[in-house]
Amino acid sequence: MARALVVDLDRCSGCEACVVSCKFQNNLDLGNYFSHVVEVGPTGEFPDIERYWLPIQCQQCSNAPCVEICPTGASYRDSDNGAVLIDADTCIGCKTCLSACPYSDPTGAVKPSVRWFNEAEQIVQKCTLCNDLTATSDGVENDDDPFDSSHAVPPCVHNCTCGARYFGDLDDPNSAASQALAKAENEGRAIHSIEAEGAQPVAKYILSADIATWQGLGER
Amino acid sequence: MKPIQLTRRRLLQSAAVAGAALAAGSLLSACSSTETATKQEVEQARQVERAFYNSICHGCIASCPCRVYLEDGVVVKIEGHPDAPLSQRSLCMKGLNQLHTCYSPRRVLYPLKRTSARGAENATFERISWDEAVDLAATKIAEAFEKYSTYALMVSTGGGGSYSRPSMTASFPISFGAANFFEPGCAQCLLPRLAIASYMYGGSCQSMADGMVVECFKGQSKADQEAGITGDTQMVVLWATQPSASSSAQAGRAMAEYRARGGKTVVVDPKFTADAAKADVWLPVRPGSDPALILSWYRVILDEKLYDEEFTKYFTNLPVLINPDTNLPWLATEVFGEEAQTTPANTPVYVCVDENTGEIAPLPFGDPAVVSQQVNPQVLATAEVNGVMSRSAGQIYRDEADPWTLERVEEFCWVPAESNRAAIDLYTNPPGGVAGIAQGVAPDMEEGSSQVPLGLMGLDMIMGYVNKPGATLIQTGKPAAADGEASRPTVFLDYLERFGAPVGVGYQIGATEEENRARADSVPETYDPNDKEAKPYYTKATQYAVNQLQLDRLGMTNHRGLYDWMASHIPTVREAVETGDPYKLAVWFDLSGNKLAVLGSAGAWYNAVMDGGLDFVISQHPILTSFHMELADLVFPVEEWLEATGASDGQLNYAFPTPGVIHLGETVPHTVAPQLVVDALSEKVADKLDKIMFGTTGQSMEELGLSFPIGMGFTNGNRSEDELWDRQIQKFSEFPGAENIKTKEEFLDFAKNNSKFYLVSPPPEKYWTYGQHLPLADDGLPVGFPTESRKCEVYCTALLKLSQTGWPHCYPRENEPIDPRAGNWNGAYAPICRVPEQKEAPDIPNSEGYIAAYDPDFPLALTSGRVYHYHHGTMRHAPFARELYPAPFVSINPETADEYGVESGDWVEISSRRTVGTDYDPQGTRGTELSYAKSKEHNIKVGDPIHAIVKVSKEVAPKVLWMERFWNPECYDATREGKKTGGWQECNVNVLTNAIDPNFNEVFGSYTNRGFAVNIKKSSRPDGVWIEPKEFEPFMPTAENQVTPEVGVLRDNKDMRTDTVKFGGE
Repeated sequence: MARALVVDLDRCSGCEACVVSCKFQNNLDLGNYFSHVVEVGPTGEFPDIERYWLPIQCQQCSNAPCVEICPTGASYRDSDNGAVLIDADTCIGCKTCLSACPYSDPTGAVKPSVRWFNEAEQIVQKCTLCNDLTATSDGVENDDDPFDSSHAVPPCVHNCTCGARYFGDLDDPNSAASQALAKAENEGRAIHSIEAEGAQPVAKYILSADIATWQGLGER
Repeated sequence: MKPIQLTRRRLLQSAAVAGAALAAGSLLSACSSTETATKQEVEQARQVERAFYNSICHGCIASCPCRVYLEDGVVVKIEGHPDAPLSQRSLCMKGLNQLHTCYSPRRVLYPLKRTSARGAENATFERISWDEAVDLAATKIAEAFEKYSTYALMVSTGGGGSYSRPSMTASFPISFGAANFFEPGCAQCLLPRLAIASYMYGGSCQSMADGMVVECFKGQSKADQEAGITGDTQMVVLWATQPSASSSAQAGRAMAEYRARGGKTVVVDPKFTADAAKADVWLPVRPGSDPALILSWYRVILDEKLYDEEFTKYFTNLPVLINPDTNLPWLATEVFGEEAQTTPANTPVYVCVDENTGEIAPLPFGDPAVVSQQVNPQVLATAEVNGVMSRSAGQIYRDEADPWTLERVEEFCWVPAESNRAAIDLYTNPPGGVAGIAQGVAPDMEEGSSQVPLGLMGLDMIMGYVNKPGATLIQTGKPAAADGEASRPTVFLDYLERFGAPVGVGYQIGATEEENRARADSVPETYDPNDKEAKPYYTKATQYAVNQLQLDRLGMTNHRGLYDWMASHIPTVREAVETGDPYKLAVWFDLSGNKLAVLGSAGAWYNAVMDGGLDFVISQHPILTSFHMELADLVFPVEEWLEATGASDGQLNYAFPTPGVIHLGETVPHTVAPQLVVDALSEKVADKLDKIMFGTTGQSMEELGLSFPIGMGFTNGNRSEDELWDRQIQKFSEFPGAENIKTKEEFLDFAKNNSKFYLVSPPPEKYWTYGQHLPLADDGLPVGFPTESRKCEVYCTALLKLSQTGWPHCYPRENEPIDPRAGNWNGAYAPICRVPEQKEAPDIPNSEGYIAAYDPDFPLALTSGRVYHYHHGTMRHAPFARELYPAPFVSINPETADEYGVESGDWVEISSRRTVGTDYDPQGTRGTELSYAKSKEHNIKVGDPIHAIVKVSKEVAPKVLWMERFWNPECYDATREGKKTGGWQECNVNVLTNAIDPNFNEVFGSYTNRGFAVNIKKSSRPDGVWIEPKEFEPFMPTAENQVTPEVGVLRDNKDMRTDTVKFGGE
């Protein structure tokens, strides 16, 4: 099982509807985010420049450092569907995972950090892939029945104004996410990950060279 | 399976509820005594409690279909509708945040009367009843009418939100016999494009964000796909438009789909927008220099004969020879005698040079195959006609374009010649053979507001990209007629059809002068109650009144393109407020928006009202904004989208029902307060018509045979929510399956959880329609276009006539010619694209005659555009938008940032001539109707420098700044220590914009909101402005959604709170 988000950067315009959809769905306080959009560029010599927007959230690592390091087991991998999650009631807010996560700010306060320290509740939070909605979904929506949980998607995917986001199990070739990657591959568009040593992120990004050169998160 | 641990606290948080406290009841009752619940229990709780309704988002004008979810009558979630034809399932941040807008603590839920002096610092309001409020408004208007005249009232709308529709804004002042209506968009947004399209070819314009450019999105909807219809467009020019930002979920999404299927784009924009980043060619045009860039395209296309020869020769007027004395085409009858008029009188024969003989010859309109047997019209030609050397319209265009070589344009517009050439090549030789241009709002806000749409639509016309699959200029839902079925097309322009035509005001283009005169004359002197066809107000008295309102509307002396929306020229209105000249304005009735955020040179308006220029200010709006805090004396509460009911919105051929699914306080549909005030005023002054003067006519209402409401003005508004529902139910019954619905309750029952409750009409094969100008009409000629020549008027003769007489709007009584200094074309409006004089710009070499003056104190060019987070003046109270975009960012190229010593995240102060008190020549360099008598006293310093946060980025060129409008409702929050302000001055680019310098666009009087000169220096965060996420906590939604209780200005908050939010108002 490799459940994750796939984002097509050839489409993404950086509108942050995903960020706000997530905030409503997960009832996040002001200042608390499960996802961010990073603007990479423009790079080059004006006016010969290029740029892309990189939405980033928990990368659902195959070899998740957060799960390895968590002292209470609050960071765990769902035994049913493989999603990397945090159990809020077990989390003691020690922030160890923040330091271990290659995509997070150690203080849990600076964007872009895929894990976020919730001051009010003294716990660490992050994207759950909306697991409470989507745990058994293939990521292919049932347009006629929004309550059909076997076809639910996170609202960040549903509402994406560019049609750039896909969700599903990358081990299932019929999932929406796998289909998007297969299509991109057929079209000769490049598929990238934000590499971090040992973590093996599952999340994938599609970016064609004629839109921009892949630079991951760019210069930070 | 590991159960999800859910405490009561966590349960609330997982509920996807914005106002958690609101939703607490339903979910807690489902798991009331448990400290934990399984995922299934949560699911169950949701499914039991949740219902959704289809709706249409009103967060901007993009009309994105949605599903709105409720729990116990509270809206808890909004998402894009998966069957939406353009937005697909998308919904942008502006739509998502409507949930916070609706339940905002800043909502106005009851009529409010000011109980303090004007000004935000100590503003206080008290709740009054609807009866009191309506009576107060009517009393103030009646007093002003008796003291001054009917012209003492002025009406406005605009600023964002879809709270008032054009049908009301034009008709509302007519009801009162008031001459003036304005909105800050209008001449600065869309009107120039729409009006020029009407004048040039009688079709829709090139605006994508306003839903006119749709052909490139063909094949995307489910209905199209089921019908096997695929997209034809393969090349689009996005000229000064940013669909990704202006309409992210609608045209932004649809453009993403267009590009994904391989569609090519050229983007012309000073900013490297998201659409530019994905374009095949980006032209980073210097702000305000677009007309020169356009002329470089004409130069190449005409010289290299890249245009569509047949269409240009026979369906545009470029080959016709122009009389230099009148600027109008020579008529064949003037040259060859009456017998040369070989077509019907409504289709004039002109004169051209016959390419075959080199001689002048009559050029009749007709089927190219037929006409070409008689004459081969030469597009670029000069010949002697009646002893006068005359150029063809094409030659005039070519001569105007002559200075604008690709090299010159590189220097003047900062567009590299090589990129420009690549763009022209893609446009003139596109894959599939047809391309189209989409023009955005930016040029509407610059000196060239008329010239740019003239140029850009003219380009599509000479390329023959008209009424063809793949083009921009198409007519949807209008299948071409069979041969012999259609008549010669005619048109009444826009509002005239509704408000002028019934009483014979306005000229029907395409009909003859005799036919128009006969229509005006046929209006009866008096109303005959025995005539079943007659209506009381279809009389000569009403004709006189409506015609007089056209003549006396402020700004029509020189800027008559505004007639198209029956709108006034804003700076001229402002000066009348300041001076009482040419007549007194005393009462302002505003229908929507934060005027201090969205009016150009906003400080001048603030000064005009605060200095006592108006006796009373009435407004209606869902939110208490700067405008209300500073200036409004009476505020009516109106519905937000989720409360509002309507049936006819949608995208393409899809209509979705919009039921009001909640109701808060005493809010009403947006037509209710205006209608009730019209009713009350009519009753109040019924016996005083002899004492009320109709404008400046010197005659009373009674003497002119008039009573209120006047004519076909605003008489069809709703008087209550129930009345609106009764009317909408009729429309809803047209939706499939809803034929028998008779009541609101039945409707809500039917619509509940019904994702398929929408209408597709007409079906795709009757929606995507082309070639309407080609079939033969009943006179044996091709149908053509509803213009005087029956052709596409690339050389726009309507503008020439408009500047002389007000034609076709001001008729049968006509305007005097404009002040010759105000015209750009021998004292008239320019009929083609030419480079107007830009008022302010950076130092550009060889720019004499094109840039008024370079001022080294203001060496940078500031322009603006859309951001994802806000629409116009809306949503600054939405906390999830503000935490992401807390204050305006100003984009600065790294080279310029280095020069000024600023870095990303620094605050800078931005100044313009409006913040230093520079005098302007009241005559301007091109004439003006403004005296500036009062403004001189202010020394035309209308505000202090504003502030913004620096974003260093190569997305703009050196010397160019890019920044969106802003206002800060936190500046009058109760939590603010010290002096409160109205929040419109701290970060508002409209303090700097130029509605002062009298060199407005000649046709529309557009003032300059973009492409003006500024300077910057490092500063610090202004007092009272919030930027940290937690600071926005007071804007979070509340169950006690009530008129700004935290502002602390209400006399009696306690009585004004709604403790429960009721579903459907029941």
